[in-house]
Amino acid sequence: MIRAVLFACLAIAALHVHAAGAPAAGTPAAGTPTGGPPPPPPYQMRAQLPPGDRLAGGKDGAAVFSNRCGACHLAGGMGTNMLIKMRMQAGQPPQSALLANRKDLTRTYVKTVVRHGYLAMPRLTRVEVTDAELDAIAAYLGKGGE
Amino acid sequence: MKLTLPPHVSGDVFQQALQAFERVVGKGWVLATDEDRDSYSDIYAPGPETEWPASAAVAPGSVEEVQAIVRLANEFKTPLWPISRGKNLGYGANAPRMPGTIVLDLSRMNRVLELDVGLGYCVIEPGVGFFDLYEHLQRAKAPLWMSVPGNAWGSVIGNALDHGIGYTPYGLHSRNLCGLEVVLPDGGLLRTGMGAMAGNHSWHMFPSSFGPDWTQMFTQSNLGIVMKAGLWLQPAPPSSVMLTWDIPKEEDIGWVVDTITPLKLAGVIDQNVFIPSWLGKIVLKGQRKDFWDKPGAIPESRVQELLQQYKLGYWQVQIRLYGDDAVNRAKAEVIKKAFQKHLPVPPLEEYWNTGDPVSQYDVTVGVPSAVALQMGDWVGGRGAHMGFSPVVPANSTHVLGQLHRSRKIIAEHDVDFYASFTISGRFATNINMLMYDRDNATQVANMRKLFNALIGETAKAGYGEYRTHLGWMDAVTDTYNFNDHAQRRLNEKVKDALDPNGVLAPGKQGVWPAAYRTARGGTA
Repeated sequence: MIRAVLFACLAIAALHVHAAGAPAAGTPAAGTPTGGPPPPPPYQMRAQLPPGDRLAGGKDGAAVFSNRCGACHLAGGMGTNMLIKMRMQAGQPPQSALLANRKDLTRTYVKTVVRHGYLAMPRLTRVEVTDAELDAIAAYLGKGGE
Repeated sequence: MKLTLPPHVSGDVFQQALQAFERVVGKGWVLATDEDRDSYSDIYAPGPETEWPASAAVAPGSVEEVQAIVRLANEFKTPLWPISRGKNLGYGANAPRMPGTIVLDLSRMNRVLELDVGLGYCVIEPGVGFFDLYEHLQRAKAPLWMSVPGNAWGSVIGNALDHGIGYTPYGLHSRNLCGLEVVLPDGGLLRTGMGAMAGNHSWHMFPSSFGPDWTQMFTQSNLGIVMKAGLWLQPAPPSSVMLTWDIPKEEDIGWVVDTITPLKLAGVIDQNVFIPSWLGKIVLKGQRKDFWDKPGAIPESRVQELLQQYKLGYWQVQIRLYGDDAVNRAKAEVIKKAFQKHLPVPPLEEYWNTGDPVSQYDVTVGVPSAVALQMGDWVGGRGAHMGFSPVVPANSTHVLGQLHRSRKIIAEHDVDFYASFTISGRFATNINMLMYDRDNATQVANMRKLFNALIGETAKAGYGEYRTHLGWMDAVTDTYNFNDHAQRRLNEKVKDALDPNGVLAPGKQGVWPAAYRTARGGTA
């Protein structure tokens, strides 16, 4: 569905992602071996979910964030593309659209957005992101404190 | 969201059912707080989310757990609404059709069970998303391509079961399913196709069976819960070429379809060819308010100005060819010659060979992305969309007829026109994208009125929708009216025979079990 919009978004996304420091669509990534295709961009090659009980605490926040949130919130993802526009309109650098670069996010804010949604971002269920996983994500992103 | 109990179920029985579910899946995988219920509601709901409320959710982790839950649902008469990943955005997301239904969330079951590079297929569970499968193929360095929908956030199986489409030669997703394992409404387990024979080696290769094959019976269906599916994948082509034309005028869609369909039927074009109208390109430039700051539809005079100003055609055609480079080039010449009869401007030609980068957003090469959802930004606010999606024969008579009809109805409701036709062979799927701000009550009310009008008028003209939102499942089912709704009556008879308690997805696609048949009737 809606491929026209998809294409419409591509140029924006490519430009913005490029601005955010990731390769633009259709351009080889730095360090690409000669003759081989470039690796997929980060949002299409997320970390694997840490093994074990998803309801248990003590997870690697970066890996959980990558796996559960990365399809939208790593470089190239829809959330990143939309945040680039919002951040730049607010006079902030495009790199701040990548949530891991933010210094001002609090843990409470991260949890609130995940559970209640924000603009285009839908609420996520406790099956998609368990409370234990959300604790790990909030600890990873919440550089602004509790 | 406050608790809405399933019909005919008391609060006590409901709690007993949840406790029984907890004993099967563990306490952490039964979710029943107000916040949980909010999270299982339609984020694009055209109206209050409380129109389609879930009472709770339960998330099993294995086939055995699903069987146990289904048996308990029969015991307690608590209906279940199975979802794969719940990302059916524009069609109801993860919300149930019948108020109070318990969502059976299968997203924990997300393993790729088998991958066969030589025969080009995999076996997956319902929680496997397009991103998951793509990453699995990348990690395995498997020379296989997926077919993806515009929004690839969801489940591969879920999308195929809902008759989703993509834009590669494997774009008819339900046709890629080969051999299902299904939990039946009584908790029993069935394998379709050759899987009916224990240990059969051809289960995921042979698309039929000995005797009737029930595979497609479980698509857009409430007759079983798919636990695993064989899925055919496209061998990665060594080369590819994309031809792109901007098509100047609205009426040109007629000759475009009459040009593409014969080439598709003859095998010159393999993919599903997507033809979007101009609005898809304008969103590239900004938000709606940047081009037209009044609430009503953008007038035709302004549309023409915009097309001229931004050097856009009314439609865009992109045709991708896959395979050996020499064959692609020969096919490209045939296609270019056919287009040249109507349009002297040559296409943009983009060639690709193995090892070249692919665009990370190009759905015609099967890479998953959710950026299509950025369309929500066009209207601003909490932007949402619904798609009105009739199917028409792929020739100019039917396509132009459909275009003129929906165009007129949409204009009468003072809404922007944004349509696409996807040519899949003998038929074209016409998606009319209706975008709205969820917090604008007048806009939402108008959309609902418009949607009703589109369904009614399109059916009168002899066309039906292939897929629809929860709120219109009954209305669309009613349009399938041959011989006093013989198909619906058959569906109900089968439903009642297989699911006497009506525990699986009551109302899905307008099929209501006897236990809840009085609930028929759209809230829309």
